[in-house]
This record gives sequence, C-alpha cells and structure tokens, in this order.
Amino acid sequence: MELVIQSIINGLIQGGFFALFAVGLVMIFGVMGVVNFAHGELVMVGAYTIWLVHAQYGFPYLPTLLLAIVVVMGIGLLMERFLFRPTRNDPLGGLICSIGVLFILQVLATLIGGDGPSKQVPPPLDGTLVLLEFIRIPYQRLFGLGVSVLALLTLWYFLTRTRLGWALRAVALDREAAALQGININVISFIAIGVGAALAGLAGGLMAPLTNINPHMGHNVIITAFIVTIVGGVGSISGAVYAAIIYALFHTFVTVYLGGTVATICGLVLMVLVLIVRPSGIMGVRVSE
Amino acid sequence: MNSKPARIVLSLLLLVGLLLLPHFLQFHHQDLLIFLTINVLVVASYRIVTLTGEWSLIHAVMMGVGGYTAALVFKQFELGMWFTLPLAGIVAAAIAALLCFPLFRMTQFYFLIGSFAAGEAIRLCWIRFVQPFGGTGGLSGVEPPLIGDIDFLEAVPYYYLTLAVVGLCLFILYRIENSRIGLILHSVHWKAPLAESVGVDTWRYRALAFIIGSFFVGVAGGLKVHYLGTITPNQFGVGFMVFILIWVIVGGYNRFYGPIIGVVVLTLFDESIRSLEEIRPAIYGAVLIISILFLPQGLESIVGRVKRLFARKPAGGTPSGDR
Amino acid sequence: MSDSTILKVDQVTKRFGGLTALDKVSFAVEAGEIRGLIGPNGAGKSTMFKNIAGFYTPTSGDIIYQGQSIRGQKPHTIAELGIVRTFQETTLFQELTVFENVLVGCHKHARSNLFKAIFKLDREIEQAATHKALEVLEFMGLVERRDQFASELPLGSQRALAISIALASEPSLLLMDEPFAGMNPEETNHMMELTRKVRDSGITIVLVEHDMKAVMGLCNYLTVLNFGQLLAEGTPDDIRNNDRVIEAYLGGGVH
Repeated sequence: MELVIQSIINGLIQGGFFALFAVGLVMIFGVMGVVNFAHGELVMVGAYTIWLVHAQYGFPYLPTLLLAIVVVMGIGLLMERFLFRPTRNDPLGGLICSIGVLFILQVLATLIGGDGPSKQVPPPLDGTLVLLEFIRIPYQRLFGLGVSVLALLTLWYFLTRTRLGWALRAVALDREAAALQGININVISFIAIGVGAALAGLAGGLMAPLTNINPHMGHNVIITAFIVTIVGGVGSISGAVYAAIIYALFHTFVTVYLGGTVATICGLVLMVLVLIVRPSGIMGVRVSE
Repeated sequence: MNSKPARIVLSLLLLVGLLLLPHFLQFHHQDLLIFLTINVLVVASYRIVTLTGEWSLIHAVMMGVGGYTAALVFKQFELGMWFTLPLAGIVAAAIAALLCFPLFRMTQFYFLIGSFAAGEAIRLCWIRFVQPFGGTGGLSGVEPPLIGDIDFLEAVPYYYLTLAVVGLCLFILYRIENSRIGLILHSVHWKAPLAESVGVDTWRYRALAFIIGSFFVGVAGGLKVHYLGTITPNQFGVGFMVFILIWVIVGGYNRFYGPIIGVVVLTLFDESIRSLEEIRPAIYGAVLIISILFLPQGLESIVGRVKRLFARKPAGGTPSGDR
Repeated sequence: MSDSTILKVDQVTKRFGGLTALDKVSFAVEAGEIRGLIGPNGAGKSTMFKNIAGFYTPTSGDIIYQGQSIRGQKPHTIAELGIVRTFQETTLFQELTVFENVLVGCHKHARSNLFKAIFKLDREIEQAATHKALEVLEFMGLVERRDQFASELPLGSQRALAISIALASEPSLLLMDEPFAGMNPEETNHMMELTRKVRDSGITIVLVEHDMKAVMGLCNYLTVLNFGQLLAEGTPDDIRNNDRVIEAYLGGGVH
C-alpha cells in the first residue's frame, strides 16, 4: 500500500517533467508544423549547463537554471532561423535537419564532458519531506514539480489571455489564414520555438540533480515526448499535459513491477494503439479525410 | 550517352571493376566493401518503400528481424545460407505484413511515428527477452556456409557471394520498379486520390511496397549476420536508421540509383574521416543539414546535370525509362 | 425508379461535426444523359460528388448505382463498379508522361501479378493496356503529346488528360468536377465537343460547373443545389427562368 502511494507521488512528479517536454514539442509542431527530433537533446543541453556551470564551476543553482533556459532557447532560435525557416514548406526536410542538430549536440556534449560514466549533479536542495511516516519526497523533487506546474500555468495564461498567445494559436490552427490577417509568421515561429525550447531547457535544468547526465539521455526523452504527444493529441497542449500525467503514472507503476524496459515497450504499444483507434488522440482536433 | 552499346560497355566495365576490386584492397577495406555492398541492398530496398511516398522508420529494425531469423535458424537447425537467407526475408516480410494492418491506417506524420514506435518496441523485445534473443549481448556463433573447398569465412569469397546475392536482389527490385506495378506505386505516391478514383487500392499497394522492401532488407540482415558472426540489438537502432535516411536523402530518391550513389559516396566519405572518430556524428549531422538546405534533390541530380552536359541533341524522343 | 436510371441519390445527408453540408438531397440520373449539378459556391456540389465516389460516406441516406447500394464503399471499389470522378483544379500525375498517366487509368483491366511483372511474362496484359491507352489518347486528341510530361501541357490538354485517365478505366458514369474552370471561349468550345463525344460513346455524365454557357449548352437536365439542399430540377430552359434559382445565385454566390 505504501508502495502504491509512493509510486503515485513519484508518477505525478515524473508527469510534471514529461509535461514540460511534451508541451514544448507540441508547441513547435503545432505552430511550425515541424517535428523537432532534437528536442531530447535540447533537454540534455539544459542538464549539461547545470552540470558544467553549477556542479563544475560552482555557480549557484537558480541563476544557472535561468542560464540553462536562455542557452537552450538560443539554440532553438538559431534552429528556427537557419533550419526551419528555409524548410518551411518541406516538413520532412525540417525533420531531417533536426536530426542533424541531434548529432551535433550529442557530439558537443561528448566533447565537453567526455563519454565516460554518467555524471551526477548533487541536489542543491537537501533533505526529504516525510508525510504520514512513510511517504518520502525529496525537497529537490518537490521543487522540480513546483516549478513545472508554475511554468505550465504561466504558459496557459499566456496562450489564453494574451494577444500574442492568441496569435500563436491562430497560426497553429491555420497558418495561411493567420498570415492573411496580418500576423507575422516569422515572429510567431520564433516565439513558438523560443517557448518550446525554453521549456525543454527548464526541464533539463530541473532534472539535472535528479537523474544521470550523459550525451544519450535525450533518447528516452524524445520517445516519451512522442508517446505523450500522440496519446494526448497532436497539436493539443492540454491533451499533452493530461497524457503526460497519465503516462507517467502508468510508466512508474509498470516499472516498479516489471521493469523500465517493459514499461517503455508498453508505452510504445499504447501509442500505436492510440494511433490506430483514435489518431487524433484524447483531446486532439479530429483530422477528417 | 544513352545508346545501347555504350550502356552495355559501361555495365561490363562496372562489373569487371567490382569483381577485381577486393584484390586491390587491404583486409580492413575488404571488410568495408562487404558491408557497403550489403548496405546498397538496404537502401535499394528502402527506396521501394518510399516509392509510395511513405517514409517508414522501421526499416533498420526489419533488417534486424531478418538477421535474428537467420541467426536463430542457423543455430537451431544448422541450416546453411541457402535456407537462412530466404527465411530471413520471408520472416521480415511476414512481420511487415502483420504490421500493415495497424500502421497503414495512418499516413504521413502519424505513419512515421507509428513505424518508429513499432520498430523500437521490437528492438526492446530483443533486449528484454534474453531467451531466445540473447538480450543486449545478442547472439553469436553464426557461420557462413562451406561450399566445396571455398571457405566463406574469408573476406574475398564472402564478397563474391554477397555481390551475387545483392546483384540478384537489385535486379528484381529494378524490374519491379519499371514494371506496371512500379507505375502504380508511383501513382500512389503522387496523387493517391486520383489513383483511387480509377480503381487503384492504394492501401494494398502501400502494403505491397512495404512488404517487398522488408523482404529484401531482411535478406540483407541475413547476409550481415553470416559475415559478422554475431548480432546485437544496437546494430539496428536509431543510429543505423538515421544512416539509412541520410544515404537516401543525400543520394536522392527520384531515381533508382539515387540512394545507391548516396550510400557509396557517404561510406567512402566516412572512411576518409575515420580518424575524426569522436566528432563523426557531428560531421554527419552537418552533411545532412547542408544536403537538405543546398542540394534538396540529392546527389543524383548532379548525375542528371552531367548527363545533360553530354547530350548533344535536344531530347526529341522518349525519355529514358528510369524514374 | 425507371429502368434507365443509372444513379439514384436517396435522401443523402452529410454532416461534418456541427456543419450540415448536404441535407436530404434526392435526385436520379438517367443513363446516357448529361446532367448538370449546379448551385452557388458552397452549395454542396463537390461534397455530393465525393459522397457518390466514395471519398465520403453519407451520414444518412443511400446511393444506388445500377440497382445496387454503393453507400460506404471505398473509392477504388466504386471505381471498379464503373463510377469515376475527375477532380477540381487539374489533378494529374505531374511527374509522369501523358502516356503513363493514362496507363495508370488502365489499371482496372490490367491486373498483373508481381511475379509475372518482374520477369516480363505479362506481355499480353501490357499490350492490351498500351492499346487501350493509345485508343483513349486518340479519342481525346492527345496522341501527339504522349511523351510529354503532364506538367508541360497547356490547360485545355491537361483537362483532356484528366478525362482520358478517367476514360481509360472504362466508366459507365463519369463525374466531372468543374472541367471548364479557367478556360477561354475557344477552349470551352473544344471541351464541350469532347464532352459530347464522351457521352456519345455511351457514358453517362454528371457535370458540376459554374460556366453557364457550358452548362446550358451541354446538359439535358439540371439539378440545382443551394446550402446543401435540393433547390430545383428541370431542363435548362426551366431553370434559366426559375425565380428561386435566380435569387439563389444573385443573393448568395459568385457567378
């Protein structure tokens, strides 16, 4: 029983992180129409920034977290300007370019940190919250969850209550119509990828003290992000959030009883099932014909 | 340039060149040559899948399916390559046929992701189920056949064997593409609704292309495992799939020979940067990006331009059959 | 339903979410006629075609072709039964030659199996298909252009090619979707001739079109839609003088 409750809590916390990277991916795909295969690597860069600047050079955690966000956002903006904009009418080309970036970032990580055993970042927040005598939540994880929730709420506010947010949604719905109404597609694309990348960088920075850092950590991130995005509904941010939580809980539970590999296999099978039965996902817009 | 005698002479020269080549190379390069030949089959078989316009991400795993089948059949039943190679192809084709049902309800983007997921799930099964797949360590102890006195464990004989098998497969693939089946596949690619409106069952043809492609890459997997002797799940992961994509995209995919040019040029390129081991993936990444941005029609378009340079008369007759 | 009715659309309704594109539309087409399906923009004409040809399935109602219900069948099955449509905005296999385009249309009658195709054992089928393709090209006046790429053709020839592809599959009922769009008077006349020629060869035609000259000149009978509903039916003369039709066009659509 304790195990179940602990797992639920762990699952929810994982869900927060999954939501961050899935939402980032959805923003980029929804607004710009391109699948960013390098999204996992963006998260990795966020984590590496923390490792390099905070763990190795001793800068305080919070400013470094901000730095991580800025760095990853910068990479995202560069990708938009030089890769995605020229390939705007060729989404497959954009996807391939993102694969190129994936490789380059992985190599950079290897050069900076070597390809040895995974790195660890000691959590800046010590201590564990103990509830009801058997639930243990390390403060660092709680912090991660808190910031994730805050970030997602801020995003929700931005998308639904600000003009810029509405413009983003308009472009996601129908790019040509939005352009005809005078919305500047280039600016919106920058914003979309800026936000998407920022979320990825944030996720990486939050996860850094909680996970193993190595050049290949992006692989699991991208798989998770795809599963969550598809199940939640391609193009739907709220769908991605719900799906992230559900999938994280599912994955956590299956991992406890059957191991991580099986959990991922099940996740992939689930995703294929969703694609068959309801390709629009739980909340996605129905794609007719 | 397009006259029949010229073509025959060129083909013969190519053939002779290919046959003599290994004798001029050191062992390490002979090795490479064998893998290159196998990879030619991999990309040629991928081409027929993409002919209908669907880019699948499961091709690398299908090669593994063929490889694992060959390995398991060899180890269980001690059958030679005459059996394991066709079986490798058949099992890969069968799995592809099964996957058609879930996968072909999706198109484009969804199909891409779905095929990726299915492939990754299969690969994870190889890792997870140590019986019978051997887990992360995979399987080993697979040997090539002994025909008469020729020891196929040697590189040069194995090369000729590979060349023969791949040559036959390429011939079949080429014939398919230039037959009316190939024409219909093209039509599905370009305008599926139009094809449907005249009675083409596009689902069936997409499935056909996928199954045929999987058959041949399965055979390639069998060739690989019999040479290497071992097979592991990581040989067929995202890394290799990306290589396939790179070869096809950089080489070009509008002509039958496009992907073949891609794999040959890039493999040679890869060899030349061997010393830069650590940053090789980054160089590939850069090559991909440059290719997409500056040479979207692939290397094959260069061949097209060279051909036009040599053509003296303006084209008044039928264009050549390759497409 | 008389014996010569080739197509009967029976109370067909088509809804997309909250939008009702077609609302209990019924009409019948006689074999051998050229029927015009007209109405202002957005009336549901193309939607009706898509329902008949199987690209959409009616939400309710039925579609009966030569006495059999074809509702819910897939496009390629319906094509095999003999209903073929052409598409708005010239849809052709741009990367293929004129000849190859039509060859695809011959698919229905030229099934080859894989094995034979590889080893070129299906010679008769190939020859039959080639023969048929050339026949169609001859009929439509495109033989000289057979080796040109579809993308290189002038507009009139492109439209003729679209019809050729459809004809190659030997339809009994041809649904033509705005074939006259963007044509000058000379091209329009030529196209009208071709259309009559097709009908005279025994094929029933249903024509969706905005060009009134073509419609009035070609059609035996007109079915008028407006806002997804049947507005009126009658001969071109009847419709020309029908107040409600005039009002519908002037009030709502662009002509």
